[in-house]
Amino acid sequence: MTLNAWLPVFALMTSLVASLVIFALPERGYRLRTAVNLGAAVFKLALVAVMVWGVFQGVEYGVSFTMVPGVDFVLKADALSMMFAGLSAVLWFLTTIYAVGYLEDSPNRSRFFGFFSLCVASTMGIALAGNLFTFFLFYEMLTLATYPLVVHRGTERALKAGRTYVIYTLTGGAVLLLAIAWLQGLAGDLHFQEGGHFGGADPAMHGSLTLIFVLLIAGLGVKAAIFPLHGWLPQAMVAPAPVSALLHAVAVVKAGAFGIVRVVYDIYGIEASSALGLLEPLAWLAAFTMLYGSVRALFQMDLKRRLAFSTVSQVSYIILGICLFGPVGATGGLVHLLHQGIMKITLFFCAGNYAETLGIHRIDEMDGAGRRMPGTSLAFTLGAFGMIGAPPLAGFITKWTMGTGALAADMDWVIAVLVLSSVLNAAYFLPILHRLWFREQSGKWPHERYWGRLETSAWLFWPPVLTAVMTVLVGVLASFPFSPLSWAELVVLRAYSS
Amino acid sequence: MTAFDVVLVLLAVCLPLLYPAMAVAAGYEKAMRYALPLLPLPALMLALGTAPGWQLELPWLLNGGLWGMDELRRLFLLLTAILWTLAGVFAVGYLKAHHLQRFCVFWGLTLAGNLGLTVAVDIASFYSFFALMTFAGYGLVVHEGTAEANRAGRVYLAMAVVGEMAILAGLLLASAAADSQMLPDLPAAIAEAPQRDLMIGLLIAGFGVKAGLPLLHFWLPLAHPVAPTPASAVLSGAMIKAGLLGWLVTLPFGETSLPMWGALMVVAGAVASLGAAALGVCQQRPKTVLAYSSISQMGLMVLMMGAALANSDVAQPLIAGMALFALHHGLAKGSLFLSTAVAIPLAPGGRWLMWVLIALPGLSLAGLPFTSGAASKLVMKELLEPDNLEFAMAAYLPMLISAGGIATMLLVWRFLWVQRANASYGGNSAMIWLGWGMATVSSLGVFWLLPQPGGLPPTPGLDAMVNQSWGLLWPALAATLLASVVLAARSIKQR
Repeated sequence: MTLNAWLPVFALMTSLVASLVIFALPERGYRLRTAVNLGAAVFKLALVAVMVWGVFQGVEYGVSFTMVPGVDFVLKADALSMMFAGLSAVLWFLTTIYAVGYLEDSPNRSRFFGFFSLCVASTMGIALAGNLFTFFLFYEMLTLATYPLVVHRGTERALKAGRTYVIYTLTGGAVLLLAIAWLQGLAGDLHFQEGGHFGGADPAMHGSLTLIFVLLIAGLGVKAAIFPLHGWLPQAMVAPAPVSALLHAVAVVKAGAFGIVRVVYDIYGIEASSALGLLEPLAWLAAFTMLYGSVRALFQMDLKRRLAFSTVSQVSYIILGICLFGPVGATGGLVHLLHQGIMKITLFFCAGNYAETLGIHRIDEMDGAGRRMPGTSLAFTLGAFGMIGAPPLAGFITKWTMGTGALAADMDWVIAVLVLSSVLNAAYFLPILHRLWFREQSGKWPHERYWGRLETSAWLFWPPVLTAVMTVLVGVLASFPFSPLSWAELVVLRAYSS
Repeated sequence: MTAFDVVLVLLAVCLPLLYPAMAVAAGYEKAMRYALPLLPLPALMLALGTAPGWQLELPWLLNGGLWGMDELRRLFLLLTAILWTLAGVFAVGYLKAHHLQRFCVFWGLTLAGNLGLTVAVDIASFYSFFALMTFAGYGLVVHEGTAEANRAGRVYLAMAVVGEMAILAGLLLASAAADSQMLPDLPAAIAEAPQRDLMIGLLIAGFGVKAGLPLLHFWLPLAHPVAPTPASAVLSGAMIKAGLLGWLVTLPFGETSLPMWGALMVVAGAVASLGAAALGVCQQRPKTVLAYSSISQMGLMVLMMGAALANSDVAQPLIAGMALFALHHGLAKGSLFLSTAVAIPLAPGGRWLMWVLIALPGLSLAGLPFTSGAASKLVMKELLEPDNLEFAMAAYLPMLISAGGIATMLLVWRFLWVQRANASYGGNSAMIWLGWGMATVSSLGVFWLLPQPGGLPPTPGLDAMVNQSWGLLWPALAATLLASVVLAARSIKQR
C-alpha cells in the first residue's frame, strides 16, 4: 500500500496514540502532557493540510479492510471529509490551548485530556469513514468519549446531565444501528459515494427506503439536536467551557449534522432523496427547529444556556441547507458546517472567559464587562453578529447562499424563515452586547481574578480572539480559494457532477 | 485607474474602518480626538480628485467585490465626506472625556459604513457597509447613556433590524431574479420579475426606515436629538441619505413606469412633508424640531421619487434632482444641527450676526432666492411640472410643493424660536467655531461650485431667481405671516 492509502489512518492514529500516552502520564506531568497534546494537534493539522491539498488536486486517499465478509472497515478522504476533518483539526488545536489554560490547577487533568484526545480521534474517524458501518463505529465511540467530559466536574448536576446525555445518545445510536442493519440487509454494504446509491431505485423499495430514512434521521438527529430530540444539549452545558465549545461547535452536534449530510448525499443521493419526497418534510422540521431554538434562547438568563439553545437553532441551518434541492442551497448548508463551528466556539470560549476571569455566568451580571475585558468582548461581539447573520461576517455568507439556493429551488418560504430567525437572533444577542459596551458596571464582579498584562490568562485570551478573526475573514474573503465557501462549492460541484 | 487612485479608494474606506484599532492601547485618547476630522479626507479627495466612471474589482471579497463611482455616487460621496469632516472638526471641540474612546470607535465604524456604501457596486459590500453604518450608529445614539438615550436606542435598533431584514429579503429576491451579485443589474431584473411588487415593497420599506418614511420614522425624532450634537448632524445630514441612495440604486427607475407605486410614494411624501411639519411645530427642543424637519424634507425627495417611479422617461433627471436636493439638504441640516451647540456671543453686534448666520441655512431650506434651496427647488419645480408627467397625481404636485415650502418655513421659525429659548451664551472653543462656521459656509457655498451632473437641467442662474422670486418667496412669507399671527394671538392671550 502506498503512503496515500495510509494518510487517513495516520490522521486518525495521531489523536488515538496521544490519548493513550496521556492516560499513561502521571497527573503532575503538566509540561509533558501539554507538549504531547499540542504536538499531536499540530502534527494532525499538518496531515490534514496535506490531504486537503491532495484532495483539491484530485488525489484519492483511502484504505479498506474486510472485518467479516460483507462488512468492511473503510477510511477515505473526499472533499466532504476534508471539510469536517479540517474544522476538527483547526478548532481542536485552539480548544486544546484553551483547555490547558482553563483546567489549570483543577484535578483529574490526565483523565480529561485522555478522553479529550479520544474525542478528536472519534471525530476524525467520523470525518474519514467511508461507509455507514465505519461511521457508526466512530459515532458511538464519540458518545463514550464525551460522557466523561460532560460529567468531569463530578457534581450532582453534571452527573444528571451526563445521564440525560447518555440516555439520549445511546437510544439514538440504537435506532441508527437498526436503520443501518436494515439498509444493509436491503442493499448490501453501502459505501459513501458522490451521487448516492438509490438513483434508480425499484419502486417496490420506496416504502422501506422512506422508513429507513426516517430512522436514520431520527438516530442522527439526536446528536444534531433536531426538535424534539434536542433535550440533552441545554443540560450538557454544565460541562467545563472547552467541552461545551467542543460539543457545540465541532464534535457532537456536527457529527449528527455531518451524518445527515452523508445519508442525503452519499447514501440516498440528492436526486433520490428529493424524488422520494424526503427533503421537504425534513426542511420543515429543520425550519421549525431553527425558530424553536431561537425562541427558547430568548428566555434564558444563563449565558451558556442561551448559547446552547442558539446551537439548537443554528445546527438546523445546516440541515435546512442540504434539504434545498440544488447546488447553491447545498453550498449554503455545507458552508455553515464550518461557519457555525467557528462562530459558536468563539462564543463559548468567551463565555468561559467571563466565568473564569470575573465569575460571570448570568447575562444580567455582564453589565460593563466590555471595559474590563475588551478583547474577549470584542470576540463575543463578532461571534454574535456573525450568528445574527450581519454582513460581512461568516453567518451572512451562509444566509445569503442559502437564501439564493432556496429561491433557485422554488422554496421561497425559506426566506421568511431565515429573516425571522435573524430577527430572533438579534433579539437575544443584541441586548447582551448593549450590556457589555453601554451599561456601567454594577457592583463588584462575582469572582474576579487577575493575570498580569492581559485581561485574562494568555491561554484563554488568544483562542477566542483567533476564532473571532476567522469569523471575519471567512466572511470578508469568502471568494478566496480554500475559504469555507470555495471549498463547499467544490464539494457540491463534485456531488452534482457525478 | 492609476495605482494612486487604487490606494486612495482603499484608504478612503479602510482609514475610518481601521482607526478604531487605536483604542486597543490605552493612552491615545488625545490622538483619537484630533484624528476625527482627518478620517473622511481621503474620501473627500476621492470625490473631488477622480473623474466619475472608475471601477475597482476586488474578486476575493465576499461574493466578488466591485467598487466604483458614477455621477450619482459622487454627489453622495461629496456630501458624506464634507459633512463628516466638518462634524469631525466640531466634535474635537465638543466631546467631553466621558467614554471618549468608545465614541471615537463608533464614529470611525459608522463613517466607514457610510463612505463604503456610497462606493460599493456589488450587493454584498453595499449591504455590509449599510449594516455596519446601522449597527455602529447605535453606539452614537446611546452614547450619553441617559434613560432617554437608551430608550431611543432600543427603538432605533428594533426598527433598524426590521429594516435590515426587509433589505436583505429584497436584495436576495432581486439578486436571484437578476442572477447577478451587482447592484446595476437589479433594476432591470426587478422590472421584469413576477414578484416585482414584493421586491419593490421590501426595498422601499427597508431603506425607508433609514430615510424616515412615514410610519417607519418613529425612531428618527427620538434618536437624532439624543445623540451628541456632531453625531446628530451626520445622522440627519448624511446617514438619512443612505436610505435615499439605497432606493436610487436598486429600484427600477427608468425601466418601467409604475403608476401605483408612484402614487403611493407621492402620498407618502405628502404625508411626510406636511405631517412631520405639523408634529414638528409642537416640539419644545431645537434638535427634535430639526429631526422632524428632516423627515419633512425627505418627504419632498419622496415626492420626486414617486414621480420618477411613475414616469420612466423622466426618471434620470429626477434622480439627479433628488441627489442635488439631498446634497443641499444634508449640508444645510448639518449646519443647523451643529448650531444648536454653539454658544451665542455676548456682544450685541456678534449676537445679531450669529442669529443671522444660524438662520441662513434654515432660510436656504425654505428656498429663499439666491440660496442652494432656491436652486434645488426651482429644479424640482421644473421637473415636476404636470405637463412633463403622465400620472394621476401629477396635477397635485405643484400644490404639494408649495405646501411643503410653507411647512418648511414654519419649522424653521419654530426651530429659531425654541433655539432662542434653549441657547447658551458665552464663548466657544476654536474647533466648535471652525466646525460650525465651515458647515455654514459650505451650506451656502458648495452648491454653486458643483460640477453639473449628467441629465440635469442647468442650475438656475441669478436671473432665473430674480424672475421667479415671487414664486420662491410667497410660501415663506405665508408661513411667516402665519407664525406672526400665532405669536400675536399668544401674546394677547397671555396678557
